[in-house]
Amino acid sequence: MEVQLQLSVRRAAAASRSCQSSTSLLSPRIPSRQQIRHQATSSRHKRALRVPPHPSFITSESTPKTDHIIFNPPSSEPSIFSTPFKFLPKNDPRRRANLPALFSSLAPAPTTNKLPPLLPFLPTPEQPKVHHLKPEDITEMRRLRAEDPVTNSVIALSNKFGCSKTFVMMCCHAPKEHQEKHRERLAGVRERWGPTRTKAREDRVRRKDMLLRGEL
Amino acid sequence: MKRIRLERWSSQLLAARPGASPRAAPGAATPLCSPSYRQTPKELCLSRRRCQSTFAQPSDPIAEDEFLQSEPVDPAETVDPTENMSRFPPLDPTTAASARYPSPLPERALKSAKLAALHARLSLSEKIPLQTLARALVDSTADKNRQFNNTNLAFLGHTLINYHVSEYLMVRYPRLPMSIMYSAVAAYAGPDALHTLARQWGIETAAVPGGEVDPGLLQFATDKAPMVPTTFGSRRAEADYLDKFKWRRGINSRVVFDDDFGDVVQAAAPQDDAAARSADNNTALKPYGTPETRKIAETAHANAVRAVVGAVYAHCGREAVKAFVRSHVLSRQLDLSRLFAFKMPTRELSNLCAREEFEKPVARLLSETGRRSRTPVFVVGIYSGKDKLGEGAGPNLDAARWKAAMNALKAWYLYSPGEDVRVPSDMLVEDARPWEPAHIDIGEVI
Repeated sequence: MEVQLQLSVRRAAAASRSCQSSTSLLSPRIPSRQQIRHQATSSRHKRALRVPPHPSFITSESTPKTDHIIFNPPSSEPSIFSTPFKFLPKNDPRRRANLPALFSSLAPAPTTNKLPPLLPFLPTPEQPKVHHLKPEDITEMRRLRAEDPVTNSVIALSNKFGCSKTFVMMCCHAPKEHQEKHRERLAGVRERWGPTRTKAREDRVRRKDMLLRGEL
Repeated sequence: MKRIRLERWSSQLLAARPGASPRAAPGAATPLCSPSYRQTPKELCLSRRRCQSTFAQPSDPIAEDEFLQSEPVDPAETVDPTENMSRFPPLDPTTAASARYPSPLPERALKSAKLAALHARLSLSEKIPLQTLARALVDSTADKNRQFNNTNLAFLGHTLINYHVSEYLMVRYPRLPMSIMYSAVAAYAGPDALHTLARQWGIETAAVPGGEVDPGLLQFATDKAPMVPTTFGSRRAEADYLDKFKWRRGINSRVVFDDDFGDVVQAAAPQDDAAARSADNNTALKPYGTPETRKIAETAHANAVRAVVGAVYAHCGREAVKAFVRSHVLSRQLDLSRLFAFKMPTRELSNLCAREEFEKPVARLLSETGRRSRTPVFVVGIYSGKDKLGEGAGPNLDAARWKAAMNALKAWYLYSPGEDVRVPSDMLVEDARPWEPAHIDIGEVI
């Protein structure tokens, strides 16, 4: 009797976990996992999948009555074998024919001044690149870096002079001992990496090589 | 002035010794197996020398060549390997006579089914006799006598193939950088590509070269260094140290010093003892060969293809060989865009735009999806002014930008005036249209 009670309690706990209903405690036969419909099946299977056809497939008054070709290619990367108009040499017949003008009905009109946005990290017309550093600033930067490479780190110098870290590294080199120390510290950090992080770093380098070889 | 009728020359080329073969009847090209051809070998068999050859009678400088001095072998000294063997079906008597020589006698070419099949399979003209085709299949490692191996034909074919391929690439893709040009020429006409071509033609190899084997089989020996035809280029003084110290070869020096494919011209391989080589390359122990033997086989196959092209030129002329190279070599697919590799594509593109006086290239974000997801996709376009130069998609903004810059550069380098662009050799035809100058680019971006 006690065993049966324990069993029913265990079942009830399982049922309450699955169905969140307290009524099952009383019922001797526990129903299996209950299905709850949150969305109409017909809606998921039919209505949601009913995609309207592309406008080019719809017959309207303007479509020709005779047999015609519908040109609606899937979206894909543009082929590099179609040379941009700007890259055509001066004597190329395509330039003379001025094909873009002829096919302006197909391509979006180039007259619109709206160009896509620039990438966020690139200089924009509103925030152009500033070349404010003078040669004496760079001499000063080099002096500071040579004097105390620890205090005058690359980040500190870039903040002080208002330029990028790359520019600081282009301008000045730290003393040999500092470079050596820095390299050792990096090697120590690398040694602490586990296999996952090491592999991820290696993969990142490999991915960049593959990208530049055009394999990605 | 009358045109030279090359097609009437085939009989002269075939039987070089004056009087050794009856001349072809004037006014008609000699058919492949005309009675005159069938009778010729019989006459020649009587003399114990290999006098019928597809080789023109050598002039003095070649006659003094060491290769000719050493050959042919005196048949009396050689033991006939097929003499005491009972064999069914019995060997052809000419086979027995032929076994004394390092390569099959030319007259046996007429009886080889494989050779006739190869001739038919390649749809070669009837002007090309089977004897020449047989000679094209004898490598210099099998028979070192230049009158009977394919060295000369291969050299001719090598020149012709490289000429047509580089001419086509120059005119079709005038902006190709030199390093890509070298790779493209090698991909069309290099030993690797020609080896594949020979395999596709169905050229089979003889296990061991010899006079008794079927002339329709490619004959080469793996215990000797192969002959690699080199039309130009010279050996660098520092050639020995290039591999040792990994010295850089600039593209300018490659143009001056190196061969047609931009590879270093190697010195003739030292003739070390054949016994050691054959022990290393023992076929019984290593059925798939060693890298060295595979290289030798590749060179032999490539030379056979080159020799066939040379034979087409020698017997059928300029236009026929052009059509042959177009249909067999240039018809192969090569995706040129896969040959490119860049180091700093964005910088190279801005250099290009500065050189061509375009507006500075800028990257613009065309579209993106899933920026905060695990697999985002960004589509970036590179614009110069209002014109889009290239477009690329990538999992981050930098990758997409690099890809777009690479695509823009590839679009620049792979500019083509058109598919049916005329090449300079089109002008060699009579009544050709006047030549319009091809586009010559100022050179790659540095």
